[in-house]
Amino acid sequence: MTAYIFRRLLQTVGLLFFLSVILFGLVNAAPGGPITAYAGRRPRPEKIAQLKRQFGLDQPLPTQYLYWLIGNDWTTIDSNGDGIKDSAGLRKGVLRGDFGFSYRTRKPVLEEIQSRLPNTVYLMSVTMLVALLIAIPLGVYSAVKQYSSFDFFATTFSFAGQAIPEFWLGLIFIIVFYAWLKNPWTGEPLLPSGGISSLGSEFSLSDRLAHLILPVVTGMLGWIAWYSRFIRSSLLEILPLNYLRSARARGLTERTVVLKHALSNALIPIVTLIALDLPYIFTGAVLTETVFAWPGMGRLYYQAAIDRDYPLLLAVLIIGAAFIILCNLIADILYAYLDPRVRYE
Amino acid sequence: MFTRTRTLLFLAFMVILSLAIVSCGPRSQSAGTEQSITPDSTSSITIVIPEDPPSFNPMVADTGYDSLVMELVLLGMADIDPYGNVFPELAAELPTIENGGVVVDEDAGTMSVTWTMREDIQWSDGTPVTADDALFTWEAITDPVNGSWIPGIDYVDSIEKLSQYSFVVNYNTLYPNYLTQLGGEQIAIWPAHYCDLEQGFIAWDCGREPLSDGPFVLHDWLKGDHMTFHKNEKYYLAPKPNIDQVIVRIVPDDAVRKTMMLKGDADIDMWINTTVAKDLEGSDVVKVSMSPTDRWLMRIFFNLAQKGTVDSSATPHPILSDVNVRKAIRSAIDIDTINSEIYFGLATPVWSEFFRPPYQCNVPRPTYDLEAAKALLESSGWVDSDNDGVRECRGCSTGAPEGYKMEMEFITYPEFGEPLILTQQLIAEMLSDIGVKANISVVEGSILWDQAENGGIEQSGNFDMDIWDDGYPGIDPTDYIWEMYSQEALVPGFGNNVMRYNNPEVDALIDEAYTLDEASRKETFCAIAERLDEDVPMVYLFTTPNAEAYSARIEGIQSSVNDMVTWNIADWTLK
Repeated sequence: MTAYIFRRLLQTVGLLFFLSVILFGLVNAAPGGPITAYAGRRPRPEKIAQLKRQFGLDQPLPTQYLYWLIGNDWTTIDSNGDGIKDSAGLRKGVLRGDFGFSYRTRKPVLEEIQSRLPNTVYLMSVTMLVALLIAIPLGVYSAVKQYSSFDFFATTFSFAGQAIPEFWLGLIFIIVFYAWLKNPWTGEPLLPSGGISSLGSEFSLSDRLAHLILPVVTGMLGWIAWYSRFIRSSLLEILPLNYLRSARARGLTERTVVLKHALSNALIPIVTLIALDLPYIFTGAVLTETVFAWPGMGRLYYQAAIDRDYPLLLAVLIIGAAFIILCNLIADILYAYLDPRVRYE
Repeated sequence: MFTRTRTLLFLAFMVILSLAIVSCGPRSQSAGTEQSITPDSTSSITIVIPEDPPSFNPMVADTGYDSLVMELVLLGMADIDPYGNVFPELAAELPTIENGGVVVDEDAGTMSVTWTMREDIQWSDGTPVTADDALFTWEAITDPVNGSWIPGIDYVDSIEKLSQYSFVVNYNTLYPNYLTQLGGEQIAIWPAHYCDLEQGFIAWDCGREPLSDGPFVLHDWLKGDHMTFHKNEKYYLAPKPNIDQVIVRIVPDDAVRKTMMLKGDADIDMWINTTVAKDLEGSDVVKVSMSPTDRWLMRIFFNLAQKGTVDSSATPHPILSDVNVRKAIRSAIDIDTINSEIYFGLATPVWSEFFRPPYQCNVPRPTYDLEAAKALLESSGWVDSDNDGVRECRGCSTGAPEGYKMEMEFITYPEFGEPLILTQQLIAEMLSDIGVKANISVVEGSILWDQAENGGIEQSGNFDMDIWDDGYPGIDPTDYIWEMYSQEALVPGFGNNVMRYNNPEVDALIDEAYTLDEASRKETFCAIAERLDEDVPMVYLFTTPNAEAYSARIEGIQSSVNDMVTWNIADWTLK
């Protein structure tokens, strides 16, 4: 297993390098560059030249990639546009943890990500946990009571959960719980329309929970549907197996048979599924964050794409890709750990 | 055994884990040092905007939201009111020829402008605002490495300090827009003792945590969530501002912003579109402020050169190089119908580049006349001989081959929103009524306006007609007119004459406009307007209002195309 993990890690480095080339090329190949976005619709040539120098776009694309990857502090650049390379570069490059600066704010990209990442991890981890809390019993009960009224209801709910657009659902929730329904004691809206917490208030758990309810419910419906369906079908495959029949024959209660002997096996693929979904905790959910004014990574990424903020866009993409690769690796390892039949050697 | 107890324990663990995450969730990390608290006794308003301002320096990204917050904390030498009048901020008075502030050297064609600053303005840390700050700001802007290009920057030879509160700007030409070069909606004077020149104008920390000489000071900024501003107790117009606290909340979705306005949880929604403005009509709690004049003029750009080329003389457009065709297209567009059907009557028909103060010209409004349009096309050799609804060249004067179909691409950009897409479709339908087939397409603005070497559609001449809104900032159209209509500006990458319009008479008039004689300038601009009306290098359609939704409890709000709505926030009062 150790050799396998080591080999996979090596592959990860190669894959990330390959991805960085592809992503850098794709982002820069997109029509409509950042100059129009930052110099205005009708920029003067002087402003265009200045911005190109400041963004490093005055270099050929391969050089831009090289500087992005390993920095330019080892060479001299023309920083003032006089045609003479007279000053040392200041960039350290991605390999040394310097993702450059945001075109939009001129702040280091990692600072931008740092300001948003905790908010996204906070929202998405709660959403995922609550979704699992609901999805697991839902899936189990649906499987055990296959074709019952509850199963039909859960199935309908699952398909609806996957089909309803988050954007629409979020707006409906805001209209109902913010605009229509009032707290009977205070007369205030029953739930806030968005944000992480109430402005100007000290930290309070109830305030945090109130702000979480609508974005979490909006975001978790899809996940509940996804996980519960998976658990149901996984359990349905296992329930008819002979070892469970033997367990029943030995006099074990149906509850013990299902929850101990069947579910523990049915959950193996679910664990890997969860591992594969973990990158969402980093990347966030654009629509939920937009509707509920949640200052997270999804909105940051969306804004960077709209603004042609290439350094920020690339950083989010590369870090997101690294998370996905890492989580895939974790999923594979977990699978082998949980299922002794799986061996990678 | 998998017992009920273990199940309950597992569920309890998950719930506790969720609560722990909530408890350990991100706290407000702010530019300020303390959590903002609004005591009940303070007056507070909330402005909702869809995205974070990148900084307080609009010269970095120019999103409009940076100007919005800049107006809260920073002052320029002078600013412009919604009616186009320049008023002093840091300046004690506006320099003019009459008061000796402007000295013109007629022989050399140069001028010097002496600014005298108020002596009663200080930064929020108690340091006075002086000429050193103005000179420092200019030095930072003009830094070749970390500076920023601003309009008229090349016209300035030098800036010299005369005294602690005065300085002179020496221009190498006559520059009519000198009054707002160090002010307006984009330029503020920055504190020399606080900002770090080494960090550079575009990146310095004081652009995100500014020291204030405006009506408010930044208290805290949680990125992507909100900004809180408190009243600047050292504001030079004290006891103004009349409001104690301003909160700028980031709410990306426009439907949510509107709901918050109607619920009373937001007081100002910036830059609402005509649909929202119409929806809010009749509301008791939310009012709409519209700017008295507009800036963004919706227009159709004609490419007078053959598609894919940039020389209208060598390779004239097979259809649009004929002025009668352009006039026919203008006559076939029913602007009033577009206004009522798509913009709820809130747009204003406009038929001249010079439609707002201080330069308004009496060009006669072109009439909507389908029959006249058809007659013009017939007389120009464009007839529908095969009765397929599209005219062909039968003896046309543009050099197009016989039988050449009157079919063109008609482009717009999606960022404006649905109303422009509908406008484009409606105009295409109107043109089909006179036998002109307009194939509509939608292209992202960044591609439409990109440079020629990047395949920018307009700059490379790769279009027939396109429609979008354009206009000049501030109150001086001179540079804009030069960039848009002069012969020099038709070179790709050098100007914005993407129509490849070439009229030496207009070139001469544009040169004449570079004077400080206002009467002469008005005359010149109106002469240009008449030539453009005759030549029709573009069709001017209408302006859409610059509008803000605001709570009825606020008094004193006046939207402006010359600045952000916060331009006069110090004067606002709460009922």
